[in-house]
Amino acid sequence: MAATPPPAVAVTVAVTGVGLVTPSGTGTASTWEGVCAGRSTAADAPELAGLPVPIACRVPDFDPHTHARLRQPWRFDRATQLLLAAAREALDSAGLNSAGHAGADGDNGAWQPERTALVIGSAAGGIGTLEDQHRRLLATGPDRISPHTLPAYLPNMAAGHAALELGVKGPALHTSTACASGASAVITAGLLLAAGHCDIALAGGSDAMVTPLCSAAFAKMGALSRRTHDPVRASRPFDRDRDGFVLAEGSAVLVLEREADARARQARPLALLTGHATTTDAHHPVAPDPDGTGLERAVRAALAQAGAAPDEVDHINAHGTSTPLNDRVEAAVIRRLYGRQPPSVTSAKGVLGHTMGAAGAVEAALTVLSVAHGAVPPTANFTAFDDGTDGIDLVTDKPRHQDIHLALSHSLGFGGHNTVLAFRAA
Amino acid sequence: MASETLVHSADPVDQHLVTVLQGKFEVAPEDIRPAATLEDLGLDSLAAVELYVTLQEQWQVPLDDSEANIGLTVQQVRDTVHRLRADSAGQGGTA
Repeated sequence: MAATPPPAVAVTVAVTGVGLVTPSGTGTASTWEGVCAGRSTAADAPELAGLPVPIACRVPDFDPHTHARLRQPWRFDRATQLLLAAAREALDSAGLNSAGHAGADGDNGAWQPERTALVIGSAAGGIGTLEDQHRRLLATGPDRISPHTLPAYLPNMAAGHAALELGVKGPALHTSTACASGASAVITAGLLLAAGHCDIALAGGSDAMVTPLCSAAFAKMGALSRRTHDPVRASRPFDRDRDGFVLAEGSAVLVLEREADARARQARPLALLTGHATTTDAHHPVAPDPDGTGLERAVRAALAQAGAAPDEVDHINAHGTSTPLNDRVEAAVIRRLYGRQPPSVTSAKGVLGHTMGAAGAVEAALTVLSVAHGAVPPTANFTAFDDGTDGIDLVTDKPRHQDIHLALSHSLGFGGHNTVLAFRAA
Repeated sequence: MASETLVHSADPVDQHLVTVLQGKFEVAPEDIRPAATLEDLGLDSLAAVELYVTLQEQWQVPLDDSEANIGLTVQQVRDTVHRLRADSAGQGGTA
């Protein structure tokens, strides 16, 4: 490759907490159990009835009062509700007060609000709210639209609302790189920590795009699986019969701290973020470069920053959307980079569907859990490779127990975005 | 506070106001007294407008949400709804 690799990262960032709200359930335990069971969450979606693709993966039985601890939850888009639940779980799991910086327990788990950052990615902000209110505008006129329309919709407001609810007073930022947004949030948080702009960063993603407009628009692009008669088998990453992704919703938040700070407060890191990179294809508005050179550059740059060679990679949590082109490109890059000793590969999207801007954070969290637990969840619905996806070591059928010293998470997004996160065992 | 809560009022406007404040805005029923301001009930400026939009929809009255503010008392809100309902009933005419 022509590009000069960047220097090794000066600051190692520890992941000390994780929160997950996905179609497998609210909470990290239910999500991990669901992906390890390989149980697809896709189902008929009544809210999409009458549309070309009326299936989706929804977060089941979500209660914003109890799970997100929100008052008047109608003030928030569902993406923000999901985010607050994930953020509070992440803080709890990091041993930090999830009720706020001082919390109910005084100094136990206290954190400094001015030294804490929040970086949240989403592809579409509160688009469900925007669609609802636009329908009201057309149906009943301007008098009946909610004054909360813009505070709920604006893409930055998931971070803004979460900062208010949690009492975060450092940087609160939104990242948007389509389906890589959550991974871009993790990268941005890592940069803020490395530059000393904060001591703790909550980094994640959240999207709730199971809406009529989003579903119809993705269908028009040909991006969605048309296996509507058999939704549980619709999302099948790397399988020869894959025909598109299944629209999903969810959120994930990771608590990041400089490793030295984490160890100083006796927090136990789940994994270490030791490298990351972003590249852009500049090839097509939405299709990945078929040669995968942009993704390959991102992998090489992330590995260079982590101070590792390709043959040290034990595991890859792939973007693996179940679209014909994405999975072919990703498999080609993996074959090219790793040759005879390929790392294990999985895609969570067979179980969870595509959670859009949350996906990069959801999969970063799952990669961290794989490193921490020494286990790789299977790729659901896989039966056989085609010529494009063959030659990778895909984990299928059941979880694989594996010592993982170094794992990568790939995320790609419309716009030609490629992001790679490198996690080492702590 | 000496004033009674509206919770036991038989007036349909009062009943609906209590339902909305208690349900949508999660106000404790014992706090819903005529002299309480919307701010006392925990509503912010956006929530005050939301309350007006909600009442407009329920009563089909031209409640002007540009006048919604957190300093309004529960009494003022119910009086305004009563007046607008009476006006619209008058306009509609009774046979």
